[in-house]
Amino acid sequence: MSAHAVNQKKSNRVPPKTVEIHIRRRANPDSPQYWEVFELPYRPNLNIISCLMEIQKNPVTKEGNPTTPPVWQMNCLEQVCGICTMVINGRARQSCSALIDNLEQPIKLEPMSKFPNIRDLVVDRSQMFDHLKQVNAWVELDGTHDLGPGPRMDQEEVQERYSYSRCMTCGCCLEACPQYEGDNYIGPQAIAQVRLFNMHPSGKMTRDERLEGIMGEDGITNCGNAQNCVKACPMGIPLTRAIYEENRETVVHGLFGWLKS
Amino acid sequence: MGVKLSRTFVLRKLHQLSGIMPLGIFLLEHFYTNSKALTGPADFNNAVKDLQSIPYILFVEIGGIFIPLIYHAVYGLVITMEARPNNLAYPYPRNWFYLIQRITGMILFFFITFHVLNFRFGLIPGLNTISVAHSPQMAFDIVSREFRIIPIFIVYMIGIAATVWHLANGIWLFMVDWGITIGERAQRLTGYACIAFGVVLLLVGINAAIAFIRPGGLLGGIL
Repeated sequence: MSAHAVNQKKSNRVPPKTVEIHIRRRANPDSPQYWEVFELPYRPNLNIISCLMEIQKNPVTKEGNPTTPPVWQMNCLEQVCGICTMVINGRARQSCSALIDNLEQPIKLEPMSKFPNIRDLVVDRSQMFDHLKQVNAWVELDGTHDLGPGPRMDQEEVQERYSYSRCMTCGCCLEACPQYEGDNYIGPQAIAQVRLFNMHPSGKMTRDERLEGIMGEDGITNCGNAQNCVKACPMGIPLTRAIYEENRETVVHGLFGWLKS
Repeated sequence: MGVKLSRTFVLRKLHQLSGIMPLGIFLLEHFYTNSKALTGPADFNNAVKDLQSIPYILFVEIGGIFIPLIYHAVYGLVITMEARPNNLAYPYPRNWFYLIQRITGMILFFFITFHVLNFRFGLIPGLNTISVAHSPQMAFDIVSREFRIIPIFIVYMIGIAATVWHLANGIWLFMVDWGITIGERAQRLTGYACIAFGVVLLLVGINAAIAFIRPGGLLGGIL
């Protein structure tokens, strides 16, 4: 549904008196998950974070039973840091930019399912950082001395690189990917960073190392082309384009690379 | 620097390639031979006989069809086992295509096993015990007799539709997986091309099957 259609639907709707939120909770990494239902008074312009803050102030379930305050992560509150990502009504997105007025009630909050669940809505996403290390997602620079202005990039490349650089490592693409499970597939996030740094004039110098980072057992060939990643990405990063560019690079590298030796 | 190719990389690339070549090429040849039935039993039987006279037919059949087919089928099942479909939460066309590609793959696993045992080897007791390949003079009659059994004909219609879907979408997948199609516009345009190709191939495949029970196929007597 377009944003316009959502707004129209919203304006025709009588605001609800309360907000009902179901949270899939977990006390610690080894204990089982369970659901708890909370209800709070409605006010205009609530988002998921402000609702969670209300619940935290007075952690009592809808049935009136006192409970522990729910735990989640947040930082920037403007959809640029990615830390508050959770599964809201079945879809991964940032809770800071998820407005109550645009959501179907009861609202279901779950931790992302593709990462180890630490507690309540908190997950450990360090595997994404490990993947960035696996693909050398940086430009090698030796020392702090002045290297001069560096090569120029054309505007088209600058634009494309800019879109890949907007990745905030939130994990929506991995949560939405039907191929990503555990550590079996490196995922779109890291592949887009390979593209970002392989397009960089200095980054190109270590291009082959990045390609081999995505040609392993968990590599780019595990992509199933369901293309949920590009739809789920809150930053609008052209993830499928990055994957297909890297498909071309890895095919050429894999098929013809040995002919250069 | 030597290129380190991981097992998964090689197996996936072989899987993607084998689907197009030789299997996709073979399907086109298969539909071409089937379509010979449009001009009558004799033409079809001669086409079967011609195929059997290909030099080194044993090696062509084993290396060009059976090995790639078994590889594509078995490794395809391995890939299917990895899938964690989430189509209800993310109901986008490509995500449905992803699921349908795997479902048609599983249908084909059983359909092609049945089809090969049935016509190529004649090993379905109670239905057919004569190998079409080894009895070209009876080829048309064997197929025609079976296709008059309604459930068998329905199974073949489903099989043809699943095969055509799997190949038409498979061509699109091959083009993105091998980095031929890259950008969003190119993805869309090649998508339309594959749909058009699939529609034509489906009509050709179904018409050829109908030719075994109705002389001249769907448009018999008109063309």
